[in-house]
Formats: sequence, structure tokens, C-alpha cells
Amino acid sequence: MSTIASPKRESHVTAAKVVLTILKYALLLLFTAIALVPFIWMLSSSLKTSTDVFSIPMKWIPDTFHWENYTQIWQKVPLLTYFENTTYVAIIVTIMQILTSSFAAYAFAKMQFKGRDFLFMCYIGTIAVPWQVYMVPQFIMMRSIGLYDTIWSLVVLQSFSAFGVFLMRQFYLGIPGELSEAARIDGLNEYGIWARIILPLAKPAIATLAIFTFVNTWNDYMGPMIYLTSDLNKTIQVGLRRFIQAFSADYNLIMAASLCSLIPVSIVFLCLQKYFIEGIATTGLKG
Amino acid sequence: MKKLLSIVLCLTMMASCVAFAAAEGTTTLTVAGWDTATAPYYEAVKTAYEAANPGVTIEWVDLASQEYNVKASTMLAGGDTTDIFFVKELSDMQNWAKEGFIVDMNDKIASTSYDMSKYAGMDTCYQLAGTTDYYALPFRADFWVLFYNKTLFDKASVEYPTNDMTWDAYKDLAIKMTGDGVYGTHYHTWLSAVANWAVCDGVNTLADGEYSDLKYFYQMVQDLEDAGACMTYDELKAANLHYSGAFAQGNIAMMPMGYWYASTLIGYIKDGTADFDWGITAVPHLDGVAAGSSFGSPTGLAVNAKSANADAAWDFVAWACGEEGAKAVAATGTRPAYVSEEVATVMAAADGFPTDDASMAALLPTAISLEWPVGDGVNDIKTIVNEEHSLIMTRELSIDEGVAEMEERAAEFIKK
Amino acid sequence: MSQSVAAGRHKMTKQEKRNTLVAYSFLAPNFIGFIIFTMIPVVFSIVLSFLNWSGGSNITWAGLDNFAYIFKDFSFSKSNLGIALKNTVFYTVATVPLTIAFALGLALVLNKAVKGANFFRSVFFFPYVASLVAICVCWNFLLMKTGPINQILNAFGANMTKSWTSSRDLAIWAIIIVSVWRNAGYYMVMYLAGLQGVPGELYEAATMDGANGWQKFWKITMPMLTPTTFFVSIMMIISCFKIYDVVAIMTQGGPGRATKMLVTYIFELSFGGEMISTTAQYGVASAVSMVLLAIVLTVTFIQFRAEKKWVNYL
Repeated sequence: MSTIASPKRESHVTAAKVVLTILKYALLLLFTAIALVPFIWMLSSSLKTSTDVFSIPMKWIPDTFHWENYTQIWQKVPLLTYFENTTYVAIIVTIMQILTSSFAAYAFAKMQFKGRDFLFMCYIGTIAVPWQVYMVPQFIMMRSIGLYDTIWSLVVLQSFSAFGVFLMRQFYLGIPGELSEAARIDGLNEYGIWARIILPLAKPAIATLAIFTFVNTWNDYMGPMIYLTSDLNKTIQVGLRRFIQAFSADYNLIMAASLCSLIPVSIVFLCLQKYFIEGIATTGLKG
Repeated sequence: MKKLLSIVLCLTMMASCVAFAAAEGTTTLTVAGWDTATAPYYEAVKTAYEAANPGVTIEWVDLASQEYNVKASTMLAGGDTTDIFFVKELSDMQNWAKEGFIVDMNDKIASTSYDMSKYAGMDTCYQLAGTTDYYALPFRADFWVLFYNKTLFDKASVEYPTNDMTWDAYKDLAIKMTGDGVYGTHYHTWLSAVANWAVCDGVNTLADGEYSDLKYFYQMVQDLEDAGACMTYDELKAANLHYSGAFAQGNIAMMPMGYWYASTLIGYIKDGTADFDWGITAVPHLDGVAAGSSFGSPTGLAVNAKSANADAAWDFVAWACGEEGAKAVAATGTRPAYVSEEVATVMAAADGFPTDDASMAALLPTAISLEWPVGDGVNDIKTIVNEEHSLIMTRELSIDEGVAEMEERAAEFIKK
Repeated sequence: MSQSVAAGRHKMTKQEKRNTLVAYSFLAPNFIGFIIFTMIPVVFSIVLSFLNWSGGSNITWAGLDNFAYIFKDFSFSKSNLGIALKNTVFYTVATVPLTIAFALGLALVLNKAVKGANFFRSVFFFPYVASLVAICVCWNFLLMKTGPINQILNAFGANMTKSWTSSRDLAIWAIIIVSVWRNAGYYMVMYLAGLQGVPGELYEAATMDGANGWQKFWKITMPMLTPTTFFVSIMMIISCFKIYDVVAIMTQGGPGRATKMLVTYIFELSFGGEMISTTAQYGVASAVSMVLLAIVLTVTFIQFRAEKKWVNYL
């Protein structure tokens, strides 16, 4: 895990190092504060009455804690249904995305073939076109093949994104070519190299892609808003936005609901984060 | 599991279609609207219609209110078969009509000799621009009134605002009521809450390219802000403060707002969010403009051209926009487009509506101008006026500069 | 489709043909979905920029009219396209370097032996995860006239008399601050993953040679991170050019047109903005997106050209 902190370091401990360390933690704590201030505000607002949320001067700690806000939101919106739907979509999309992207990226990163660069530019090009522009044509198509108002519309929309392919390509490019050459000499075909050599090494990249895909699907609003209509199908962001529009003045409840919607994604992040750290060093790569 | 569920759902939907074909006389009409679960009039209309028309079921398709036009336009372009669509914005309807998404109602109106005279002129905006072809009927017609907090006026021993009050008198009253944590009045951040009053004279419109008539209102609002008689635009924007919560707090004496707020306020009083007496009056007027003049915009009902139940859909639209529908709507404290003495009585009798004579009288305005006219280029002008509005209200531009820029930029879109 | 792209120019050897087939078999699962659900609608939208279309069956040929419309009276201070372009470029130029600096800095610190690294990583990723609406409401409040940030600034002698989102000069900075705050942790994760690809042996060798931390950073870490930086910068430039949602929630493009971005303009043309109604000028909207596409593709193309020069692949 620590590549720089070698054993020799201990002998060099000087006053300067101590100061540096203190500075480092001070900076980290400062950034932590900056990152968390809005969340603290959200938390404190979620425990106030709606009229106190924007009172000036602002109070970070409410006079009385209104914990009932958290029970109220569960009565006012079927958050659990939204959670179930969204989790379901997000898991399918994430799995599909990882499978197809990690497969396709291999061709772009490790193989020579005609039309490679052109195709790759097409992928990148589509990322650059704002979705709002092709939303209507896409909707017409999706409806004609009968996927409108099913969660499968979201699955097919997000499973084949160019983003995943690009991300995986970049990580594959970082894997030394000699590794696959050696495997080729040992008689492995391309599929074998992908499955046995590249994929195990790409764990951090897969973890990254998994997190990003999960979070993006979780937080997607426009997609579900356009493609889903029935109440049964609603996802968390649509539900949350509905809630905000219906209870536009109750910012305490809105903040409470927003904080609740954070929990599942945070869990996914915590579960996956150990994989970024488990580096190539531990997978036994010798450059 | 979910897949199974969706398959089962599909099957039941198909089955219900088959059942509909088999069991003659049972029709399900789907109607796309917004806030269908929270606004009480939807349920009232559904219940009343189903009682009057056995065999027909109304099913609301609830779309997000802020994105209603995006979603509804996309659905219609995509060939969705939802039978009826609410028309939130007049310009949406114009485009839907032009593109053939919604049905021309002229034949039906003629064959049923439908009475178009009861809408106080609101019906003509549902004609395709430049023709006399109706593509929707007016369902609700909200106009602007002045809400006031009786409890605050009583406490300050000041007389209530009246149905005949000039803007100058209103301004003095607002300043008089200010103090001790009380704001004399409240303006939401919209253009319509601040400067739309200029159209109440029935002559000016916001699309005429001439905006010096707005200066008086901007000046009045800025004076009130400076006097501390209302919260500033800057504060309201930054805090995303919604007018409904603001007035419900009980420290605002008056607020010009659309009539739709009445049903929200009634709800707040019922569930204890707000705790005070309130009343409404007609909005103030300029010298020389008749008292009781206001502006507003209608909400209509249109029939999808792809609907499989076009006749049944027209039946529902005609009913909902007619006297029976109007009564059902009025009983929930919402103002239907169809106006008659009888409907006004029902409206005033709505549970929770203030019972004083002035408030009842305020329900029958003398004239209602359109908030925005309909026509080519109006959308572009609307964008421009709204943009300059935000510059004036944040005081990034002086009133004169802002109005000058409005006129300069709008000139391009004004039909000569 | 695939064959027609691959075929051409010179005759391929058997080996090359086989290779190409294998390559396409790798691409296929992603590519088929991509073609149907993304590529076809995108190509349609490109064609759309030369058509008049409002969503119905009336489609007529517009030629270059849509482009003429958006470029009419073009100027960076007056015309909608000019202002949207200027704002978008300004936003991108400010946001990309700031975000990269924070993301890389945080990743470098957290990649080392830091007590509580897990905690810090999660904390910095948090902003990306949170619901955007709640975040924007919150920042609007923090940046308001009498909000905590202005109070701090005033304590240091600044004279802040306005909410940031109410000022023509500061509104865009409010958007930039929220974007950097929100995305730094996201790209930090990418850099963290990239850092795992740097073999530890390189550092050990450098230490033996007596290199100090600074030298190791410039000679090993930075070069080894170039594939990540390449990816991050391209993705970030593209997503900055497509900025929409933060603006839509925080400023709605205002005050005036101070934060009107390209996609805000596109959205207004297609569906109308807040308080503004549908005009459904999909053809014109599409023409604006072609301008956006042209800029992004040019920038990306230059980066790809330069890729061989500055990006180190092992």
C-alpha cells in the first residue's frame, strides 16, 4: 500500500518532517471540513422545523431536534419502493457495463485492426453530443420497440455507454505489453489473455467503473423522468424531485430525504474502495 | 422478480384491453396531468365524472410538474396513446396543434353545439393562432388576487385592504404594516408577481415590445425592498424560498398571488402548518384602470390524436370543462374556467374559504387579461423579458437600463 | 457495418483479417447496443441540424438556415450563441485545471500511508454522491448575501454586498466552486486507481539512486499517470462543455444571461427553460449542439494527436 514509506525513512525523521506531517493532516482536515460543511448544514436543517431552515443568523445546532422529520418522510413518500427500483436498475446496469466495457476496451487497447481509431473517435464523439439533443429521437425509437415505461429502457440506455469503454481502455493501456506477449507465446489466444492476464490486473479499474456506474445510475434524473411513467417504476431521484416539488417549502424534509438517499451509495463506495488500494503490487506483477 | 412483475403487468394490461373489447361499455380514459396525487380537484373531478358516467374509469398519469412540458411533448412526439393531456402552457398547445399531436375540436363543438360563452373570453387562446380552430377547452382559469393575513391587520388595528385600492394606497399600506418582524408584503421572484400588473389595463401586453409601463412596478418593488417592507429578490433566490411557505409563516401581511394558492392555504390551515385568519381582495389597480382588473392564464384539456377512445375522451373533456366539472373543481377551492353565479357560490362555499363579503366579491373579477399573449416570437420575447427582469431585480441594471435592454432586444421579434 | 469500415485501401493478409474478426468479436456486445441506442439517435440529431422539425411528421429541409439563425448578428456580448459560448469556455477553462489540481493532490496524499485514509477517501467522494438538488440548495444558502462565506470574506476586509448567484460577475464562480467541490473527489478516485498501476519497483530504484520526493514525483509519478490524466482531461473537458444541471438548479442561466451555457441554450430551444415555454425548435437546438460537438471534437482530436508525445504507456 505504501510505496514511498520505505523502512529507510525512519532514520531521517527530522523536525522538518514532523512539520510536514502536521501540515499534511491540517490540510486534509481543512479539505474534510470543506467537503462536509454542506452535509452538516443538510443534517442540521433536516432536524429543524421548515421555518427555521433559512432563518438568519443561521444556527448550526437547532434549539430542539426534530427527529420526527425522519419518520415523516417515510410516511409521505414510498422511499423504500424507490430504493428497491433504483438498486435493481443500478445493479443490472453496473454488471452489464462492466462486462461489455471491459470486453470491448480490450480490442481498443491491445489489438491492431482496421478502423480502430475511427470507431474510437465515434465513441468519444457521442459522449460530446448532449443528451437533450437526441432525447426525442431516442424516445421515439425506444417506444417503438416497446421498452417505454419499463426499467429495461434505462438498462439498455446506460449499459453500453462510451464512458466505460474509454475508462477501461485507458487502464488497459497502462498494463505492460510484454505481459500479453509472453502469454501469447505460451499459446493463450486473445480471449484467454483477456480473461487470465488483463482482467485480474484491472481490478482497480473495474472497481472504479463499478462505483461510477452505480453512482451515476443512482443519481440519474432525466432518464427515468422521461422513460418511466408508472408509479411502480419510479426511481429514487424521480421520487426525490417529486417530493421536492410537492413539498417545496419543507426544506427540512427535503434535506432528510436527500440524506437518506445517500446511504445506499455510500455503502457501495465503502465496500468497493478497498479494491483501488489493492494495487498491482499485490497482484504479483513484475514489470 | 421485477422482470416477472413487469411481464405480469404487461399481461394484465393486455388482458384488460381484451376485457374492454369484450365487456362493452367499460372504458378507461388515461389523463396526463401534474401533482395529481396532491391537488384535490383531480380526485373530485374523477369521482363526479365516474358517478355520472358508469362504465368509464378515469386514470391519472402523473407527470413531474416542473418538467411537465418536456415530458408531455416528448410523449406526444413519441406517439404515446394517453387519451387526454392537460395543457399547462399555451405555447405548448400551439406546437402540439401545429404538429397534429392533438385533435381539432371544431366538429365536436359544432355537433354538440357546445356553449363557448361561459369562459369570459378565455377560450380564444385555445384556438390555433391565426385560425378559429379549437384544440383544447379551458378547464381551470387562475387569476391573481391579493392574499392578506387578517390576524396581522387586527393586531396592528389597521383596516383590511379593499377590493378597490390603487397601487399607491397598497404601497403605503404595506409600509404601514411593516415592523416588529412583520413584512408588509411579499413578492415571489417571478416576473408575473412583480411586473405583470401592467397588462391588467387590457391594452398593454408583455409582448408588445414597449416596456416603460413596467417601470412604475419595478420602482414600487424596489422602494418596498429598500424600506424593508418585503424580502429582497436576492434573498428569496438564494434561499430558494417558496412563497407558499413564506406566507404560511404568518409574518407577511399581504401577498399578491395566483388564486391557486387558496387551496394550498386552506390545506395548511387544516393541517396546522399555518395558524391565522386570512382573506382575499382583488389586486390593486392603477388610477384609470377599473377596480377588479387582473390577469391570469388558463389550464386546458386536449385530446391526443393517437387516442383510441377519441369520442369518450371528448365526452370527458366537454364534461370537465362544463358546468358539472366546474362545480366539482370549485368545491375544492380551485377556480374553474367556466364561470357562472352558481359556480362562484360553490367556490365561496368551499370548506375553509374565508366567509367575508369582500373575499367572496373578489372571486368575480371585472376583467382578466392574459398573462402572456399567444403568437409567433412570443417565446423568444418571454425569454428576453425574464432575463432582463432578473437583472433589474438583482439590481445589476438600473430600472431604466433594464427596460431599455428589454425593448432593444425584443425589437427583433416584434412583428412590424 | 463493421466490415465496410474495416475493408478498404489495401488487401488484408489472412492474419490481419483474423485479427480484425477477433477484435470485432470483442467489440460486439458493447458495440451493438451502442449503435442502436446511442449512435443512431446521435446521427439523426446531426442530420436534424439541417432540418426543420418540431417533433411531428412535418419535416422539411432547412439547409443552413438553422446555422444562419444561431450565427445571426454573432457577438460575444449580445447574441445568445456568443454569450453561451463565452460562458461555457470560461467555465471550462477555470474548472478543469482546478479540479485536476485538487483531485491529483488528494489522490497523492491519500495514496500514501495516511492514518484514516479510508475515512478521508470516503469523505472526499461524498459530494459526488449526494443528490444534486439538495447540494445546490445548500450552496445557494452558503453563498447568499448574509451567508457564512460572505461573512468570512467580509471579516477579511472584502466588501460582499450581494449573493453570489445574484451578481453577474460572481454567479459563474458559484457554478465553478460547486462543480470543483463536487467533482474533485470523483476524479480523485480515478487518480487513485491510476496510481495503483505505478510499479513500486520504480520508486525503490529511484530511492537507491538517491532521488528525493520531489524528483520522484516529477520523474516517475507524473509520467506514469499520464494515461489517467489524458482520460481525466478529455472526460472533464467534454463534461464541462455539457454543463447543464448545476446551472439549471442554481441560477437558471441568470442573472440575465450571465450563466447561460451552451446546453442551457439548447434546452431552451427544445423545451424552454424555467418560466419559459416550449418552442420545440429541435433543428436549431441541434445546430447549436453541432457547434458544441465541433469544438469538443477538435480539442479531443488535438489531444489524441498529442497523446503519442506526452502520454506514456508501458
